[in-house]
Amino acid sequence: MHIPDGLISPQTYLPALALAAPLWVLAGRRLRARLGDEVLPRLAVFTAFAFLLSTLMLPLPGGTSGHAVGVGLLALVFGPWTAFMAYSLVLLLQAVVVGAGGITALPVNALAIGFAGAWLAAGLYAALRRFGEAPAVLLAVWLSVMGSALLLALVLGLQPVIAHGPDGTPRFFPFGPAITVPALLLPHALIGAGEAALTLLVFRHARRRRWLVAPG
Amino acid sequence: MSQRAWLLAWLVAVVGVTLVHAPVWLAGGLLLVLAASGPGRVALLVGALRLVWPVLLLISAGYLVAAWLSDSLAWAYLLLLNLRVSLLALLTRWMMRDLDLDRALRGWPRLQRWLSIVRGQVEVFRRLAGDYRAAALSRSTARPSLAQRYRASAALGLAALDKAVYNAEALTQGMRSRGALDD
Repeated sequence: MHIPDGLISPQTYLPALALAAPLWVLAGRRLRARLGDEVLPRLAVFTAFAFLLSTLMLPLPGGTSGHAVGVGLLALVFGPWTAFMAYSLVLLLQAVVVGAGGITALPVNALAIGFAGAWLAAGLYAALRRFGEAPAVLLAVWLSVMGSALLLALVLGLQPVIAHGPDGTPRFFPFGPAITVPALLLPHALIGAGEAALTLLVFRHARRRRWLVAPG
Repeated sequence: MSQRAWLLAWLVAVVGVTLVHAPVWLAGGLLLVLAASGPGRVALLVGALRLVWPVLLLISAGYLVAAWLSDSLAWAYLLLLNLRVSLLALLTRWMMRDLDLDRALRGWPRLQRWLSIVRGQVEVFRRLAGDYRAAALSRSTARPSLAQRYRASAALGLAALDKAVYNAEALTQGMRSRGALDD
């Protein structure tokens, strides 16, 4: 889902960095406060799991495929702040070790997927819990994936307006929201459903193993 | 030049490339990086293009269709986009090939430790997934259906998760006992 380098303008990624940096500091402080010998190994494993989810393709009917994100799972197991920090690390690893995504796009990806995705998943799960664990997890994660996809679609779709030449020619991503929103949301409706089912499976397993750190 | 200086140079170069909007400068940058990257430059370029060609093809084709329909085709923009994304991918690929990330991050012990831990866990997962997949394949006489593949992946994932957590707990205790987590 995440944006690669070269498609978003400095007018977008520099303000995103200014916004993400204090959030990383805050999330880092919160993480250090709750990081004990029990949480550290689990968080490392779940962060690695999220990294692999982002690299493993999910087979879809018709021979196509897409990749899951794993931030909803991190948010439900460890809470949104920890999930934001862990997913930022996943994005950093992808950018510098695998070459996927990108370092300039990292703040935008971290805010849209790591921050908004984690808070959407955690908030929606808390709001929907009274309807049962399974519907709460499934809906929270699906909506979190769709929310992140919508944010990224809007960021991409605004590029022709934000960064263009004197003659109006785009300098970075060329398509507006009328194209980017359906282009990202339609496949992610299916990918989000797969990710929601996967999250429910692992979340239940984590609850049985008493690995949950976040309330719920 | 130290590894950290190379890391900072890469960061500056990547940001700098996004500030350049002239295709000729980007093409020059591409040639310069290819020349400076030394032996193996063709493999480096192929590796970089392999990372970005699906995105570039999709965007370029989409732009060509949209521009043809609205009669506003700008070849310079297509060149600019393709050169910029390719140059950024090439710079990143070069960094991945030649930079020792652990040495470059020596000044940031927490980040270095987290990267090491997560990279280690990723390797553990990959190995476990490979082992379980090979075991599942060796027991199958026919090609599994999509539903069977999903069920096998779920069982494989949870078993790998259990084993990875167990390994990570043992690793954390080992690191703690050696004072690696004391700061």
